[in-house]
Amino acid sequence: MEQPRHLRILRDIAAVFVTFMFMFPILWWALTSIKPISAVFDKDRVVFFDFVPTLINYAVTLLGLSRSGIAIDQGIGMGVGGAEAYDSRRAILDSVVVSIGATAATMAVAIFAAYALSRMAFRGRAGYLNWVLGQRFMPPIAILIPLVTIYKDAGLRDSDSLYGGYFGLMMIYALMNLPIALLLMKSFFDDVPKDVDEAAMIDGATRWQSFSKVVLPMVRGGVAASAVLVFIFSWTEFLLSLFLTTSIRTVPVKIQTFVTSTGNEWGFIAALGTAAAIPSFIFILLVQRHLVRGLTLGSLKE
Amino acid sequence: MVSEHPFPWLLPASALMVIFGLYPLLYAIWLSLQRKHPVTRKLSFAPSYNWSKLLGDERVWNAMGNTLVYTSVALVLQLVLGMLIALLLDSDRKGYGLLRAMMTLPLVIPPAVTAMMFLLMLNGSFGVLARGIIATGLLPPGFSILGTASTAMAGVLLAEVWQWTPFMVLIMLAGLRSLPKEPFEAAAIDGATATQVFFKLTLPMMSKVIAIAVLIRGIDLFRAFDYVKVMTDSGPGTATETLTSYAGRIYFGNADFPYASTIALLTLIIVIFVSFVFMKVFKVKL
Repeated sequence: MEQPRHLRILRDIAAVFVTFMFMFPILWWALTSIKPISAVFDKDRVVFFDFVPTLINYAVTLLGLSRSGIAIDQGIGMGVGGAEAYDSRRAILDSVVVSIGATAATMAVAIFAAYALSRMAFRGRAGYLNWVLGQRFMPPIAILIPLVTIYKDAGLRDSDSLYGGYFGLMMIYALMNLPIALLLMKSFFDDVPKDVDEAAMIDGATRWQSFSKVVLPMVRGGVAASAVLVFIFSWTEFLLSLFLTTSIRTVPVKIQTFVTSTGNEWGFIAALGTAAAIPSFIFILLVQRHLVRGLTLGSLKE
Repeated sequence: MVSEHPFPWLLPASALMVIFGLYPLLYAIWLSLQRKHPVTRKLSFAPSYNWSKLLGDERVWNAMGNTLVYTSVALVLQLVLGMLIALLLDSDRKGYGLLRAMMTLPLVIPPAVTAMMFLLMLNGSFGVLARGIIATGLLPPGFSILGTASTAMAGVLLAEVWQWTPFMVLIMLAGLRSLPKEPFEAAAIDGATATQVFFKLTLPMMSKVIAIAVLIRGIDLFRAFDYVKVMTDSGPGTATETLTSYAGRIYFGNADFPYASTIALLTLIIVIFVSFVFMKVFKVKL
């Protein structure tokens, strides 16, 4: 059905306008990250582009430049926080380690289970799938409070146990992401006809060989898409990381510490926030094709 | 050789779910049946103590009301906006692919960062959004949207709706693109108007997709925490306190684990019950 020309143009304008509305907060955020303090806090007018851009916020948060030195340079006087308070390199490292570890753990566990649930008929299969799905329905707060105690007793929470902190967060992220990874992988395995395994096994392959040599390579794309989604969800998680560890600070938690009693350090907040969003942006654009399938736990395909 | 038996394949996943999922859940249930002595801090078995306290706690009902308002308002807005934007962006013409890709970006920003973003933009004295609203004369100068009880929830919802409407857009787009062509061609020949086509064809044929989207979004909305914690810290007072944030406040505030666990379990029970009924009524299968 061909639309008349003027309607088409009208629609183009509306589409661009709506998309721009959704991009605006991101653009504003990026803009804030390169503004000097005076432009962020201008009470008389909204500063759009008439400011001298600065990378100082990135230098402090990502490179660990001293904050008080800058404050003196800008003539504000001594900075409030200590030099390390805004240095986010440790938090970024913590986030990277936890997210990669959680993704690896989730995928390792999910792939095997997904293969069995896709390929084998056994009693309790439907029940097992419901158990997995039930994990997705469960509000994290329901297990969070006992987990704090459990983690404390196991030495996974407190500040003297760095590796314990990593391990504890990785495992709980693996649990939270298990349903999406497992159900998504199952849907990718389901796309591969069962004849493929059967043919391999008639040719003398064991179940393991048929899985590892034949079927798994066929769902590589699915593994990558699931891993990317798990990574993003781990990277952006806030509640669990806030409660469950004191030894490490992931980026979403670290950024909250920039809210101080004397005022919020918006420049630093915006710089770290922008930097934290960039890896996710790249990843999400890489898996566009499988995004809907992933977000609906494999039940809708594009 | 790995046997044909599913056991070894399911073992790692099962271990993860038992140790980090089932065990804490049973622990939470056990906790909810304990009473924490306020002075000695000793736990004693008192199965009905927390649950009866919960029924008489006005803040629980307030948090429940806030959670319901939050969930339903966000769900309706995201669904309607998501559908409209999906219809708008569902075109094969040049450039629309790029617009659709851009639409997915808000989804992957850490919600705690999104919350900060809106905290800045809604600041009454230098926030760009707040100033925009003030400039229209709807609000007095310097008005603090998040600091005023009657508008705080709307401010938090703005962040929520911004971040998750794209989720609905994506799913609705996938749904629209999977629709068969024939009924629409037939309707065009019969001279049906666009409105008729939408309500008589598109909407009914999309019902399964919409139901799945509502279910997934609904269970996530009901656990609302990140935006509320960062933007208003459940305040002012208890104006934006949700069930999850109330449980968190009790936990951090008075370290009453048993009672915090009980509120958390209440959230779980509601989510399981409502989603079970929803799945039965709308015949959704994930």
